[in-house]
Amino acid sequence: MEPNLGTIARSISIRPNREETGLESLQFREEFHRLMIVPPENGSSFTALLELPETQAMELLHSPHSDKGVMVPFSGDPLHGINDDNKSYLPSFNGNLTFPSNKVLIERAAKFSVFASGEHSPETSSVPSDSSANLEKVKSEPAETDSNPNSSQLLVSDPTVNIKNQRPEKRKEREKKGKGCTKKTKIEISQDAEKLPYVHVRARRGQATDSHSLAERARREKINARMKLLQELVPGCSKISSTALVLDEIINHVQSLQRQVELLSMRLASVNPRVDFNLDSLFAPESGSLADGNFPSMVSPLLWPEIPFNGNRQQHQQQWNFDALHRPLWGREEDNHTFITMENSLLSYDSANSASLHSNQLKMEL
Amino acid sequence: MTPKGVSLNPNSRKTKFARRFLCALSQMRNPRPVSSSNDEEVRKRSHKIKIAAYLSMARTVGSRRAWSRALLFKLRTRARRHNMMIGRRSLCLKKKRVIKNDPQGELSQTNKLRHLVPGGKTMDMCSLLEETAHFVTCLATQVKVMQTIADHFDK
Repeated sequence: MEPNLGTIARSISIRPNREETGLESLQFREEFHRLMIVPPENGSSFTALLELPETQAMELLHSPHSDKGVMVPFSGDPLHGINDDNKSYLPSFNGNLTFPSNKVLIERAAKFSVFASGEHSPETSSVPSDSSANLEKVKSEPAETDSNPNSSQLLVSDPTVNIKNQRPEKRKEREKKGKGCTKKTKIEISQDAEKLPYVHVRARRGQATDSHSLAERARREKINARMKLLQELVPGCSKISSTALVLDEIINHVQSLQRQVELLSMRLASVNPRVDFNLDSLFAPESGSLADGNFPSMVSPLLWPEIPFNGNRQQHQQQWNFDALHRPLWGREEDNHTFITMENSLLSYDSANSASLHSNQLKMEL
Repeated sequence: MTPKGVSLNPNSRKTKFARRFLCALSQMRNPRPVSSSNDEEVRKRSHKIKIAAYLSMARTVGSRRAWSRALLFKLRTRARRHNMMIGRRSLCLKKKRVIKNDPQGELSQTNKLRHLVPGGKTMDMCSLLEETAHFVTCLATQVKVMQTIADHFDK
């Protein structure tokens, strides 16, 4: 399917112009749109079709009916249905996964164009020399596959309304990601309401129009957006323009953070004996609920200086009580460890750290 | 004091991480019978603490993110390996360090980034950058919390 795409796209791109000129093609398009209104009823059957394994469904879609009546009823909805289907399974892969479905549609549309070009083969050659507006349409066409918005806006209002109603959610999703909107002309934006999700980027004049370069452009814009986000995150990075330097900066930042983590863990390790006891003394009142005031006064201002503490901590206690991690267990141990020897290692540890125990008692008194 | 929602919502990741990390720290002393006196012990323990920090961060983030998933998986497999054969563990770690250090000179920046961000080797560029962004924020909070804890215990 892959290698065909370019030619298919080209054959589609020829279509609208041809339709403008040919009488028969007008009829064809009317038929096409009449059938496009149908799909809401057909939708269930189509989704039923989607219930099948993908290959079967594809086969059904591809089943070689050159007859319009059989082919077209799928045409309004499948785009919607397939996209939804893909989304429900793999929501994160918007752009990539809807693509195959589009390929299907493109192929089907290509059949149409082939069908039509059988009738109007001489006119196709005259198309490329048209005005810029036409050129614009030509370029936009491969992306739109079968919804054919230019003509549908003009001639048939119903299907467009339907499609518009069906798609606002997707549209929002796309806008959240915030790509590609900048490049669009006004016409394109108005059309965009009924676009497939993966078409964020439209070809401008002089840009390549085949779906591969479109996808590539979309990808690049995505990357740029992420890059900008990262630039904001990494300090001292917002003024740098070249991506290579930005990447360097990001790498440095991440490395420095990791080094910091290492250093801090070293620090923590070197003071650990005290840490352990401190934690015990700090957590013990929590689990035993003996001296709630003790803990917040000691730790909280230091750990989270900017947060008002008591409420926060108490919530944590509740969480701790609820999520039965290992936490309650050792809490009990800590409560008892002076009286009962639950584990030998515990005991030996405590005896070994009796000095630190002293220091902590001092701390407690403070 | 009262506005729990205000204090919790923006700092949820931070507080969660702090909780988990403190938990891990206080648990860490259980398997360790002797107090740390020599350097080897300290190094081992610092390594453990580091892993605990990363692990608790990954747990706080959960499995929604690719990097945390990768990290969790890595640590889990490492722990399993550690349980299986303690002797070979240090060897493996050394090997990994060598691998990490080697390619930094020659490989391109994205590959560097791939090495830095857990699970980055299998990502495409877009998701790599996205994960990097998230990872950086998480690392920053992690460092902040660890800093405050260390400051606290240094006193």
